[in-house]
Amino acid sequence: MYNFLTGPLAWFSFLVFFIGILIRSILYIKGLDSNLDRVTYKVNTSFGIKEAVRSIFYWLLPFATRGWRTQPLMTALFFIFHIGLLASTLFLKAHNMILQERWGFSIITIPDVVSDYLTIAVLAAALVLIIRRMALAQVRILTKPSDYLILLISIAPFLTGFLAFHQFGNYPFWMITHIISGELLLVVIPFTKLSHCFLFFFSRGQLGMDYGIKRGGMKRRKAMAW
Amino acid sequence: MFKKILFATTGTPSCDSAARVAFDMAKRYNAELVTINVFGVPSRSFSQTVTDIRTGDEVDLHDDRLEEIKNELEKTYVQLIKDYTPCETVVTVGIPHTEILRLARKKEIDLIVIGARTSAEENENSVNRHIVGRTLQSVARSARCPVLVIGRTAASFWGGISNIVFGTDFSKASDEAFKFAFNLAQTFNSSLHLFHAIDISADPFEITKNQEVIEDRIRDAREKIRSKYLSKMEGFNDYEIDVWEGIPYVEIVKYARESFADLIVMSHHTKKMDPEKAVLGSTVEQVVLRSNAPVISVNHPARQKKQ
Amino acid sequence: MSQNILCTQNPVNDKEALDALLKDKRGQQYYDEMTRLEVDTAALSKSLNDTCHSRIRTWLELCAHCGMCADACAFYLSNEKDPKQVPSYKIQSTLGEIVRRKGNVDNALMRYAMDVAWGKCTCCNRCGLYCPFGIDMGVMMSYLRGLLFSQGFVPWEMKIGSGMHRIFRAQMDVTVEDWVETCEWMEEEWEDDWPGLKIPVDKENADIMYTVNAREPKHYPEDIAEAAVLFSIAGENWTVPGEGWEETSLAMFAGDWEGSQLQAQSVYDAMDRLKPKRMIVTECGHAYRATVIEGPYWTGQKSGKTPIETLHYVEWVAEALRTGKLKIDPAKKIKEPVTLHDSCNYVRNGGLSQCGREIMSYIAEDFREMTPNGDHNFCCGGGGGMNGIGKYREERNTGQKVKRDQILATGAKLVITPCHNCWDAIRDLEEVYKIGIRWSFLKPLLLDMVIVPEHLKPKEE
Repeated sequence: MYNFLTGPLAWFSFLVFFIGILIRSILYIKGLDSNLDRVTYKVNTSFGIKEAVRSIFYWLLPFATRGWRTQPLMTALFFIFHIGLLASTLFLKAHNMILQERWGFSIITIPDVVSDYLTIAVLAAALVLIIRRMALAQVRILTKPSDYLILLISIAPFLTGFLAFHQFGNYPFWMITHIISGELLLVVIPFTKLSHCFLFFFSRGQLGMDYGIKRGGMKRRKAMAW
Repeated sequence: MFKKILFATTGTPSCDSAARVAFDMAKRYNAELVTINVFGVPSRSFSQTVTDIRTGDEVDLHDDRLEEIKNELEKTYVQLIKDYTPCETVVTVGIPHTEILRLARKKEIDLIVIGARTSAEENENSVNRHIVGRTLQSVARSARCPVLVIGRTAASFWGGISNIVFGTDFSKASDEAFKFAFNLAQTFNSSLHLFHAIDISADPFEITKNQEVIEDRIRDAREKIRSKYLSKMEGFNDYEIDVWEGIPYVEIVKYARESFADLIVMSHHTKKMDPEKAVLGSTVEQVVLRSNAPVISVNHPARQKKQ
Repeated sequence: MSQNILCTQNPVNDKEALDALLKDKRGQQYYDEMTRLEVDTAALSKSLNDTCHSRIRTWLELCAHCGMCADACAFYLSNEKDPKQVPSYKIQSTLGEIVRRKGNVDNALMRYAMDVAWGKCTCCNRCGLYCPFGIDMGVMMSYLRGLLFSQGFVPWEMKIGSGMHRIFRAQMDVTVEDWVETCEWMEEEWEDDWPGLKIPVDKENADIMYTVNAREPKHYPEDIAEAAVLFSIAGENWTVPGEGWEETSLAMFAGDWEGSQLQAQSVYDAMDRLKPKRMIVTECGHAYRATVIEGPYWTGQKSGKTPIETLHYVEWVAEALRTGKLKIDPAKKIKEPVTLHDSCNYVRNGGLSQCGREIMSYIAEDFREMTPNGDHNFCCGGGGGMNGIGKYREERNTGQKVKRDQILATGAKLVITPCHNCWDAIRDLEEVYKIGIRWSFLKPLLLDMVIVPEHLKPKEE
């Protein structure tokens, strides 16, 4: 069971994940149309790229955009959730040990206690996000059941990983659910809203290009305040 | 003298005196009369509704409506005017002064007759008051032909003209007003009263408190009237020259009363005015409000007629 | 088959159809017929396949339903945070639904979509700046308007407006003759005060070709005269085209892309004919958006730009003040507190926010910024055509609360609005809320304070 999960199934999930990303990225770019979008992607491209990069860069920094600044609670939640999620996954000692074993390399790691706090932070942020979704009318009206499901799928590996690491109750059970939920997450990413983990860069970049090429990019005397 | 007369009306009783004068003059001079009523100002951007000038209400604009208003207007004047002669009636929407001036230009009008609000109508709605004030101001300022402004009810009589008061401020526009006044005086064999008022209302240093200064100025002004106007009045002897001091519009009104004026001719060349101040009015409007005599405002040389 | 006469899928292409529409009081019959207008689902579905590609589909799919766009929307804030005004909800419940159902939608949904597309959104594009993913709901709303127009679900005034452009190449029934006549008239009327004032029509190879908004010849001809005076004072070699003088595009507001193309092309043809060095657009926001920003795409300009360089009036004023072509009499600067309303169409969507600031630095002693301003400014409440649509008057009035409060917070009683639409909206705002403000274009203000060279002063002996 364990071997199957970490062997063929792991391969399968990673394959779906990466190929999915690749195909969706290609489809996105191929679907851009200068005439329909009314942005000359291929003329004055440098103006577009510059604003695309700026747009992505500012939105990746906490409180760097007016949007982030005007909604501090959401911004805090957002960054705690995403940074915690990425850092605790990529820099976890245990994950890197597997990398080392299988592929002969690893990336930097953080102490387990830090990973622990990050995981708790992710789970706590997710909880507040759920509460926010239910409490705020402007979010509630947008919410569909799938939004909760996706959030649950996203945090499942963290919850199970946390329980497994601290050996609550049945360790093998938590470990296996951790692996399954992790692989499930990888598989669903390309097919759901979670594809934002890479499409964010395209979508954000596209608007940057739009502003950089067409909407005043070449006339703006003071750089656009994102 | 007047071949084509344009009568601009809001269709309300405040224009009744002006209507009598307009129809009467058209008959007397065998002139063609055109009546224009700009009944609504465009509002709400490009929408098809306008703000009714009389009521301030938002109304729909469509052809039937324009026709209705036209009929109503014609009916009003058939009843009001004793021997009504049919005339062309234009009912339209737009900024009133723009449409009046546009039509006057298009039809090569010789005289515009327009009513002025009087104090009795102060309680009319604010849209109306504001627009009427601005319209009078703008039409009188920009029209290429004389503009006869009829204010008081008592002034609605247009009989013979024995006495014409020409009020001057020595501006270029006043020169044109003089030409018109002189021409009128010759045509009607009336006496021409050339009048100037020295404005002591804006006098921060109170120089005019000094009687000598005032008298100097009066002497100068009389001299100026002589050199500027008398030189152009060869062979015409029925005139008087007077220079008074005070607030110009008050003095003109007083002077007109003393001279039994049948008509006051002056220019209205104020370049531009804050719309808010325009409601209060310039000298011409103040004179219109206070004087029993009708006022003709002339500012521009007569337009060259297209051949 | 539907028996509709006024409300059909066909655009208005001739005078007869236009007059029939105009006769309908406030579109009563038109809207009544709309309840029976059939949706051509096959055409809608084909249209989606042909024109709804990855950008919009990704936007619709990616939306995380986080609600961060809510506070970006003037209509959400003005309507006491009504969740139904959240931009994401507005687009997901309309375009999102149409796309999800692949065009297989009914009359009721289409009419709801119309109420949202024109009655709850002015396409100010502010929400796009507040979405982490950069989902621009204004752009999608505009796309939705295109779909709705093609199916005939468009507000009465918009149908008329689009028809006006198709017939007159102007948003109002102003013909080329009317236009040229108005220019001559203004020349005559103003030449006493401004000796030698000329409004040159169809002069070739001028430095500037000036284009206007049809409202100017129709209702506010002095605006043209003021522009002429300012160009003369600045010593510009300028002209207006006899044909192709109209810069605005209600067709754009209507989602009538064919009409938009015809309109923009008429201006480009004038450029081609007169070969001016630059074009300047009057103080109008959507005119600039339509002819300068979007127009090149409708007409297939590969560069994405107008055939010759184009400036908005505020750019020209800023340049003229900077280079000293126009000099301001320091004693006549605006002394009272004054604020500036940024038009979404050429500020956020055209990058010209600094021009307004530069101009204010020359003409105002006590300039007060609204908060927020520039790229992040709120819509006047009347953009995107909402100003002129009777059906959505209440929505527009309510939507102006944000702008009202922004103006009140500055303490200024004078609001400079270098945009026809905003100017109208702010005027209506005063009429509705009576906050005691005045509003003005730049031209009349500049005319009051600019130093006039001797040769342009009237000769008084």
